[in-house]
Amino acid sequence: MGSAYAIEAEELRRTYRARTGWLKPRRTEVEAVRGVTFTVGRGELFGLLGPNGAGKTTTIKMLNTLLIPTSGRARVCGHDVERETREVRRRIGYVFGGDRGLYDRLSALDNLRYFAELYAVPAREQKGRIAELLDLVGLAGRERERVEGYSRGMRQRLHIARGLLHSPDVLFLDEPSIGVDPVAARELRRTVADLASTGTTVLLTTHYMAEADELCDRIAVIADGCIQALGTPAELRRRAEGRRVVEVEAYGVPESAVDALRGLPGVRETAVEARGALQLLTVHSDAHVDVQSDVLRELAGIRLGRVDSREPTLEDAYVAIVSAAA
Amino acid sequence: MSGAYLPGPAASPTPFPFRARAALTPSPVPPPHRSPEKGPGMKTLRLMTVGGVIAYRALFNWTTPGMFIGTLLVGPLFQLLFFAYLGRQLQVADDRFYIVGNAVLTASLACVFGGTMAVANERRYGTLGHVLLSPRSRTAVFWGRVLPYAGNGLLIAVVTLTAGALLLGLRIPVSALPGLLLVMAAGSLACGFFGLTLGALGLRFRDVWVISNVSVALLLLLTGVNVPASGLPGWMVAVGEWLPITHAAEAARRLAAGDGLAAAAGPLGQELLVGAGYAVAAAALLKIFEFESRRTASLDVL
Repeated sequence: MGSAYAIEAEELRRTYRARTGWLKPRRTEVEAVRGVTFTVGRGELFGLLGPNGAGKTTTIKMLNTLLIPTSGRARVCGHDVERETREVRRRIGYVFGGDRGLYDRLSALDNLRYFAELYAVPAREQKGRIAELLDLVGLAGRERERVEGYSRGMRQRLHIARGLLHSPDVLFLDEPSIGVDPVAARELRRTVADLASTGTTVLLTTHYMAEADELCDRIAVIADGCIQALGTPAELRRRAEGRRVVEVEAYGVPESAVDALRGLPGVRETAVEARGALQLLTVHSDAHVDVQSDVLRELAGIRLGRVDSREPTLEDAYVAIVSAAA
Repeated sequence: MSGAYLPGPAASPTPFPFRARAALTPSPVPPPHRSPEKGPGMKTLRLMTVGGVIAYRALFNWTTPGMFIGTLLVGPLFQLLFFAYLGRQLQVADDRFYIVGNAVLTASLACVFGGTMAVANERRYGTLGHVLLSPRSRTAVFWGRVLPYAGNGLLIAVVTLTAGALLLGLRIPVSALPGLLLVMAAGSLACGFFGLTLGALGLRFRDVWVISNVSVALLLLLTGVNVPASGLPGWMVAVGEWLPITHAAEAARRLAAGDGLAAAAGPLGQELLVGAGYAVAAAALLKIFEFESRRTASLDVL
């Protein structure tokens, strides 16, 4: 254990090159990660937050050896991810969200048996370890059922059990709670918190601010392939200090009205989130300026629902950071 | 933004009375993957056998009784009968030529498609990334997958030979049976590694099934199973020399004719050499394409 850090990333870059067409081939280049630097301490629970396409998964794939960085370097438990892949792989677990990544025709037990072989869990320890993990993720009693009949929450728990089979020092969790119902997501958060409390280093990517706020010791906000902010949740929350947030539920807000809101005195950022027929307008303003009446005036004639004025949360800080990067 | 390390809170922010706490308490024994146990040879053997069988159940599409019997037993038997009756009609060769040759060839269906499924179905299930994250030897992982397919191929060849001989009245000397079993096992194993070589292409090319389909047709044509080598153009014979089944079929015919194992030893050795060549080729391709996938992100691993 030479290094003081579990994860060290130094100026990591990754460019994807693609070629399309046969007769007239066209080459495209996308810089997914553009110079990411951070460190994660041993036993730390570190969050990587960012919008879709920000470079979170690419960063994780470089750290877990599935991708070679275009430039820069990274080490996991002191081992170089490009040259010492076997040493890195012995020490990491990888869990990602979604329905795929398991052998549907096999039972949970057989899935775990197979990956126990692949991840070099000694034969005499496999049975006990698998039973322990099935109990941990709440699948004991269901382990002989085929995975194809599992709900998404059950699959997600099985993903976690698989990621922990070989007792990894570092666990990468790539949006593990995506598509999971609230109760299952809460159990999952408990599991993650418990892991961290027993010394496992966890790198978590998520879209859910509450999840990051509740779990993470520190958070890096990544957008456009670069880290835009890094600190504890409290430190990041302070990024939104001096602000006030007005939230308005509305139906059929034209782009021109949103532009008008952006032009109001004291308004810093405006975001629109579509939720079915409903649109949720979030207007960030300077704390000393009351923009609520101005906002409602600009939205006159539009059908409105709930209107709320509140203190900024971590999510607001995140929006502010990501908006500033855009 | 500076990436300097900022010390965070020492523990998780919320206590969790979760049942996992006891289970996760660090054990005084070293982590499982680093504790001393069996020798590396035994561990590799276990990975190849136990891992190979589980992977077979996970990835082979034709494991249900209906699919297995229909696709791998009944279909090839009809193919054997078709060529045997066609041979009788055209008077190209006798029944032994077709029955023995086609019986050996039937192993190729399970082996070629099995080898392809061993890699291509990992993409389908989204598990390839997790397999590639294994610290174990890729060669052992994937060679182990060939063993159940080869066993499958051997079973199919034996069943087809037995059924074909009974249906068409072919008499095979009892003394030839152990040798035939050996030859069919060699042919199945060579075919399995040939299939894995094709499967390895699945790490680079998404539509690898096209290659498997074409390869099965090529085996039918170029191995001399249904068209005697003397009736094929020279270049086809030359290509056939490098394919599995060609030499196994020749060895099996000599044994079935009562020539003895000594007469079959030459082609049997050649079949084993061809199989070994494909085993090495598969291992090399898997290594190259895995590295390329990491370098160029060419693989949709997850």
